[in-house]
Amino acid sequence: MDISPATIRVIILGAGKGGTALLELFTRSPDVEIVGMADINPEAPGLRLARNLGIQTATDALSLITEDRANLIVDVTGNPAMGALLVQHKPPRAEVLGGTSALLIWKLAQYEQDLRDQLIQAEKLASIGTLASGIAHEINNPLYTITGLTEHLQDETRPEVIREYVQDIIQAGRRIAAIVQGLNAYARRAHGEEVCDINVNQTLDEAVKMALRATVLDDVRVVTQYSALPPVRGKAEELLQVFVNLVTNAVQAMEGRGTLTLSTTSANGFVHTTVQDTGPGIPRNHLGQIFDPFFTTKDQGKGTGLGLHIVRDIVTHYGGQVKVESTLGHGASFTVKLPASAQTR
Amino acid sequence: MPMGLHTKDTPGKGRILVVDDEDNVRKVLRLTLTKAGYDVVEADHGGKGIEAIGSDDNALMVDVILCDIRMPKINGLEAITFFQQQYPSVPILVVTGYPDTKMAADLLSRGVFDYLVKPVDQENLLKAVSAAMAQRLELRHDH
Repeated sequence: MDISPATIRVIILGAGKGGTALLELFTRSPDVEIVGMADINPEAPGLRLARNLGIQTATDALSLITEDRANLIVDVTGNPAMGALLVQHKPPRAEVLGGTSALLIWKLAQYEQDLRDQLIQAEKLASIGTLASGIAHEINNPLYTITGLTEHLQDETRPEVIREYVQDIIQAGRRIAAIVQGLNAYARRAHGEEVCDINVNQTLDEAVKMALRATVLDDVRVVTQYSALPPVRGKAEELLQVFVNLVTNAVQAMEGRGTLTLSTTSANGFVHTTVQDTGPGIPRNHLGQIFDPFFTTKDQGKGTGLGLHIVRDIVTHYGGQVKVESTLGHGASFTVKLPASAQTR
Repeated sequence: MPMGLHTKDTPGKGRILVVDDEDNVRKVLRLTLTKAGYDVVEADHGGKGIEAIGSDDNALMVDVILCDIRMPKINGLEAITFFQQQYPSVPILVVTGYPDTKMAADLLSRGVFDYLVKPVDQENLLKAVSAAMAQRLELRHDH
C-alpha cells in the first residue's frame, strides 16, 4: 500500500476505556492509520471493536511492535513495565507516546466523545420538530371527527343518526389513543441508554413508521425483504436514529412518492441492512461529501446537514460501516453493516 | 370566457368540492356545509378532485374548493397547482391537520384563499367558506 509521509501509522497498546476511546477517535481521523492494537486481555472491549473494524489485534504487544509497521506507539496500558519494554524493543523510527502525554490524548479523546454525544442529541432534537408536526397531523384528523361530529350532535334528534355519530367519535378517540400509545412505546425505547441486543428488522419497521409520520407527503410503497437475523449490539436510541435518518432521507429524496425497499441479510458475523429509494439519485460530485457534517442539499430549515454524518458516526462507533451507491436518475442505496452481537456468533 | 367560469347559477348558496382522503373528515365537512345551505361534491384524493372538476371545463360548476394536503396518489399540493392553473377564479381553502406556518405562508403567497388547521370549528370554517364564496361571486360578476 502506498502511504504518503503524512499518514500517521499507529499502534495502540491497551484496549480498555482509554484505548477504545483513542481507537474510535483515530478511526474518524483522516491521515491516521491504525496498524494494530494490543491488550493482554483478548476480550478487552477495544480489541473486539478493532477486530470488527478489520484491524490487527494481539495479546502480545511485543510481536506487534517488532513488526515495525508503525511510526507512533501510543501506550495507554498504565503499566510502568510496558514503558520499560518499549524503551528496549521499539523500532528506531517509531515514536512512543506514553505516561502523561498519552493521558492527555486520552482526555482529548473523551472530550471529543462528549462533543459527539451532544451532536447526536442536537440532531435528535432537530428531528423531533419535524416529528411533532407529523404527529399533530395524525392526531388532528381524528380530533376533527370528534369535535366536528360533536358540534352536529348538539342539534341532532334522530336516535339512529346520534348512534352513528357516537360510533364514529368513539372510533376516532380510539385511534388517538393508539397513536399516543405508539408514541409512549417510542419514548420508552428512545431512552434506551444501555447497550443491548437489538433486533434490526424491528428497528427498521419502527424507523419507517416514524419517518413517514414526519413527512407531509407519504405516497410511498414500502417493500421489506427481511432475513432472520442475529441481534446487533448498540443503544436502541442510536440505532433507531441511524435508520430513521436513512429512511427520512430516502422518503424526502423521493418527494414522498416512490418505492422504499428495505432489506436485511446476515453473513460472516455481520448484519447488512440496505435502504434503497427510487428518488433522483445523488450526483457523483456529492457522493464524497454526503457524510460530512453540515453538508446538505435540502432547503433551509429542512435539514441540519447532520443526519448522514451521525449515521456514519454511530455505525462506526459500533464497529460497522456505511456505504452508499447511487446512479443519477436511478435512486440511491445505503448499506449499513453492523457486527452481530458477540453472544450469537 | 375565462376557463372555469360558468354562466349558470349554482344551486343553493353555491357548490363546494371537498377533497380529503378521510371518510370521517369529509363527513363532518359535508354535514357542516350542507346544513349551511351549500351543495357538496366529494373526492377522496387529489386525482378524483381533478377528475371531478376537470372533466368538461368545470361542468360541476364548483365555486369553492376545500382541499387537504396529505393524501395518497395525487396529493393536495399537486391538486392545488392544477386547480389554480385550470380554474384561477375558484378560491381554494386548505383544510389540513398540519399546523405548519411555513407551508401556510407558502400556500397563501401562491394564492390559496385560506389555510385552516383541523380541528377547525364550524363557525370559523363557515366564515372562511363564505368569504371565499363572496370572492367567487365578485369574480363572476366582474365577468
